[in-house]
Amino acid sequence: MRRISAYSISLLVLISAGSVLAQDTIDFPLKIKAGIDIAGPAIYIADRNNFNAEAFISFDKNEKISYTLEGGYLDYRFSQYNYDYLTRGVFFRAGTDFNLLRPEVSKGSYWAGIGLRYGLSVFNTETPFLEHENYWGTATSAISKKTSTGHFFEVTPGVRTEVFRNFSIGWTVRLRFLISGGGGKDLRPIYFPGYGQGGKMVNAGINYYLTWNIPFRKIRVITRPEESEEPEDEEEFPEGTRQEGF
Amino acid sequence: MPDFMLTSSFYITAVIPNDRLNFVFLRFSGTMMKTFAYLVFIFIAVIMLATMPECTPEACFEETNAFVKASFYDSGSDTQLTPDSLTLYGTGMDTLKIYDADAGVKPALLPLDASESGCSFVIMINGVTDTLTFLYTSYPHLISKECGYTFYHNIEDLYYTENTIDHIYISKRNITTVNEENIRIFY
Repeated sequence: MRRISAYSISLLVLISAGSVLAQDTIDFPLKIKAGIDIAGPAIYIADRNNFNAEAFISFDKNEKISYTLEGGYLDYRFSQYNYDYLTRGVFFRAGTDFNLLRPEVSKGSYWAGIGLRYGLSVFNTETPFLEHENYWGTATSAISKKTSTGHFFEVTPGVRTEVFRNFSIGWTVRLRFLISGGGGKDLRPIYFPGYGQGGKMVNAGINYYLTWNIPFRKIRVITRPEESEEPEDEEEFPEGTRQEGF
Repeated sequence: MPDFMLTSSFYITAVIPNDRLNFVFLRFSGTMMKTFAYLVFIFIAVIMLATMPECTPEACFEETNAFVKASFYDSGSDTQLTPDSLTLYGTGMDTLKIYDADAGVKPALLPLDASESGCSFVIMINGVTDTLTFLYTSYPHLISKECGYTFYHNIEDLYYTENTIDHIYISKRNITTVNEENIRIFY
């Protein structure tokens, strides 16, 4: 009986050892990333009435998913023949990024994927001058400063690549969907921080990020699982690994 | 995929776009990246098309005046009856007529003075003259970025003479750019 048990245990050890040998794994660095947008300041050079500054910080959950927080500030002015408009405020976005690259391609240095965000904007708007012309002549007025809150949702595909050790560059396209712009039905914001034109239900934008990456942990990721004839329920993987990349 | 190919491909994405997304280039190498690259390219193309009208001079194509929309009714039968001749102008504005013996006006559009809290009109229905006086409040309403603001009104009171007018029913006190009846003039 004891001999049978010894043979059985040896067989199990051999099988499991064979399984490990058949797998391909890589050590994948998880990172905290902090980035600043340079598209906003670049646009400001061309258009002095539109200053947007924003930055983000993200935290890798694993080789595929990272959690992101973004924040920014907007100072926007618009003027045309019948009104002047000012808006100023801050915005925050929170969401998740999904890396669509395989771990052995990404290696923690490349990112190409898509993100989802919820955005919140708190801002002041003011119309210091407006005029309206009709049969009776021209009526002029002004709308004093008021604080509003806007909500929106974003889909954000993009790419990033590490050009130097722990330093990445890359862009993110933003497709924004308005949930609520604030201001009520009569005084919707013409433009508000983080979203853009408040009169549109869908807006597009782009950011170009310079990013500093801080590796904080490595995980072992299985890039090619063993090609075993054994039933799947006998497979076990060490904690912190994934069965297969994209 | 060789490491240098991937690296050089990603470097090509490092093109600084301008504010209208006109110069975003994308190129990936390797079969692994192609599907994703095409998807992103299509996505960007759609966005560029969607934002292209902004590159043209902005123009206002919407209604910018909030009129009182008045329909005419026969006071005997309570059925709609358009006057054979309608003349309308603001009091003191007789050189600038809104309607001048016009036929088939349906509805009549009366512009209120946003600078004042009241205004009067001289109305001549089939040659008989009456006067309408509106008392109201006005407030700004944003039409669009291109058009700017207009003024909407809330009618508080309406006074009129009764030479040919029998009575007036206010069906909607809020005066907006929406095409809906505000008053019914029975004559």
